[in-house]
Amino acid sequence: MPEMDGIEAVKKIMAFDSDAKIILCSAMGQQTLVIEAIEACAKDFIVKLFKKDRIKEAIDNIL
Amino acid sequence: MSDNNEYLEMFFAESEEYIMVLNDAILKLENNPEDKEVVASLFRAAHSLKGMSATMRFDVLTELTHKIENLMDQVRNNKIDVTTEIIDLLFEGIDYIEEIVKQIKTDGTDNFNLEEYLNKLENKMKQGKEQKVISNEEINYDLDEFESEIISLNEEEKNNIAENKKELDTVYAVNAVLYNGTEFKQVRASMVFKEAKEIGYLFKSVPDIREIEEAKFENNVVKMILISNEPKENIINSLGNITDVVEVNITDIEIELNKNKKTDENKEKNKKNNINKSTSKFEVSSTVRVGIKKLDKLMNMIGELLINKTRLEALNIDSEGFKDILPQLDRVTMELHHTVMQIRMEPIGVMFNRFPRMVRDLSKESQKEIDFIIKGKDTELDRSIIDELGDPLTHLLRNAVDHGIEKPKVRAKKGKDKTGRVELMAYQKGSEIIIEVEDDGAGINIEKLTAKALDKELITQKELEEMDREKKLQLIFEPGLSTTDEVSNVSGRGVGMDVVKRTIKSLDGDIYINSEKEEGTNIIISLPLTLAIQDALMVKIDQEVFAIPLNAISETLKIKSKEIKQVKGNDVIVLRDETIPLIDSRKSLNIEVGDNNYIEREEMSVVIVKSSGKEVGLIVNQLLYQQEIVIKSLSDYLGNVKNISGATIIGDGEVALILDVRDIA
Repeated sequence: MPEMDGIEAVKKIMAFDSDAKIILCSAMGQQTLVIEAIEACAKDFIVKLFKKDRIKEAIDNIL
Repeated sequence: MSDNNEYLEMFFAESEEYIMVLNDAILKLENNPEDKEVVASLFRAAHSLKGMSATMRFDVLTELTHKIENLMDQVRNNKIDVTTEIIDLLFEGIDYIEEIVKQIKTDGTDNFNLEEYLNKLENKMKQGKEQKVISNEEINYDLDEFESEIISLNEEEKNNIAENKKELDTVYAVNAVLYNGTEFKQVRASMVFKEAKEIGYLFKSVPDIREIEEAKFENNVVKMILISNEPKENIINSLGNITDVVEVNITDIEIELNKNKKTDENKEKNKKNNINKSTSKFEVSSTVRVGIKKLDKLMNMIGELLINKTRLEALNIDSEGFKDILPQLDRVTMELHHTVMQIRMEPIGVMFNRFPRMVRDLSKESQKEIDFIIKGKDTELDRSIIDELGDPLTHLLRNAVDHGIEKPKVRAKKGKDKTGRVELMAYQKGSEIIIEVEDDGAGINIEKLTAKALDKELITQKELEEMDREKKLQLIFEPGLSTTDEVSNVSGRGVGMDVVKRTIKSLDGDIYINSEKEEGTNIIISLPLTLAIQDALMVKIDQEVFAIPLNAISETLKIKSKEIKQVKGNDVIVLRDETIPLIDSRKSLNIEVGDNNYIEREEMSVVIVKSSGKEVGLIVNQLLYQQEIVIKSLSDYLGNVKNISGATIIGDGEVALILDVRDIA
């Protein structure tokens, strides 16, 4: 994505509001990046291509 | 766009690696169908490839690798037996992957019709499911047992816990079970760890954090020893809240403080371990990929630096400071050169790995039984040389299988073992790397070879009569010679051996063949360790300075004219009972000799060099000094000057030609 990568975005959002609950959308093959984002306090992730119930489940889990 | 290109390049490099891993693993699986580790590595490679292609949006490739991954998953879970059919199916799949990657390279798309193959895969998998329903249940049972098993602790670990836990803490063995279809298991596991660390102190885990980072996490259970003062229910709740965690099992373990008190020193050590454990994070990989072009440029610049250093030395300035700096500069340049050379080195195994598959396919196709042995995979060679060697070696191995090794029946008639042997070896010898391709097949028919050479007018009858056996054998490297009567699709088209020789020569290497009829053929390739910089002996021939690479020289001598003897009208010297022919280097270089024959000189300098597999004495005017030279190739319009392989710049800024002694005899 433009301007910054997902990890940086997670960090910035967390700095802005440490209560933010972030779910990452990721493509296959980016496991290490997702791990990094989780370390940076993202709450959960979903993998493309998404199924409806997976999105719902992830949101239910963090709310 | 350039960003995208960078990713594409990474994609190509990595997919090539995975293709190699896959090929290698399938070969191993064929020989050892029960090897679970191989199955797991196959699964992982297919999985990683799938991930990469999905990221790059190559949908066809993604689907193909996904199906292969599924097949491997079934093999892994014992739902399908590894049969020849499965192996062939897998190989076919890898070939498609290779094809698709090639296509992406040419036009950037992965449009490829795979329907037929994918259907075959599907059918195979369906069959597998039907056949092995019962064993499927067995597996589930096994898995259940694995899921309920907790991590075991050794004495030292128990002591460690007992000494460090606080009074209100409980030691829990926690197993978090992930949903079977979990994507990104590694990430889920790391989320479990992260949560666990917030609840208490994560003492130990299976898999451990490093294994997860290395993607060695294959099953569905994350097992932990967790020390915490939270009640069980809270732990189950927090961990159970993580997406995809379907079950959390928890048991508390009683740990007795071992009364045999360890020494204080030991305690200290344990504490240290603790600290290490709690701070260990996901390590970042400590390697980088660098394009070979960048390294070429670096090497070039070091070459320039070296030339300037030599020129500086030649200035011979008489000052204290100058004399201090020179050795320093010398050391730094050498170390720099050495380091870059090291970086460029790669084990030759990266290229050798493609051959077992090829030999297997060829031997199947030609109905031969072949034991293919590879030795010296770890031998290191300059990357650019390795890249160039693939094609020549492919050709030589094909020859060995196609022309060398006989069919089992023929071998049996000859009293040979039914299974033929083809060996590929690499090893270092002095400053050279030797690669040998050897087979115990039919050998080369010299009569047939020379007859063909005569027929094609490559040599005259007179030349032939003067040739010894060894020289006749080397005729095989002449263009247009191929001794098989029938032409197969793999070899025997008469192009090949000359191309092999040309490639090896262009790498500044040499190739040499030995063959005994009915016993087999041995081809020896020698290559310089590195291309760009070499040690050389500087000599004067006539009025000019020439460089002779040290790796071609066996020794230098001074001889008196009376030591020269005559054999068949040629000048020779006898050195330690060996007769060595003498060559006037001026004649080899087409320099006018005139009346100035060397015989009239009282004392002569002779450089004994290895040329075409034997030693000859090269008479030069003067031995000068030894120097590291940077090899510059001659430009095209000067190219292919006989007995000159390139040029270099010497101390005074002059250009010196580099003698190519390999064919001088």
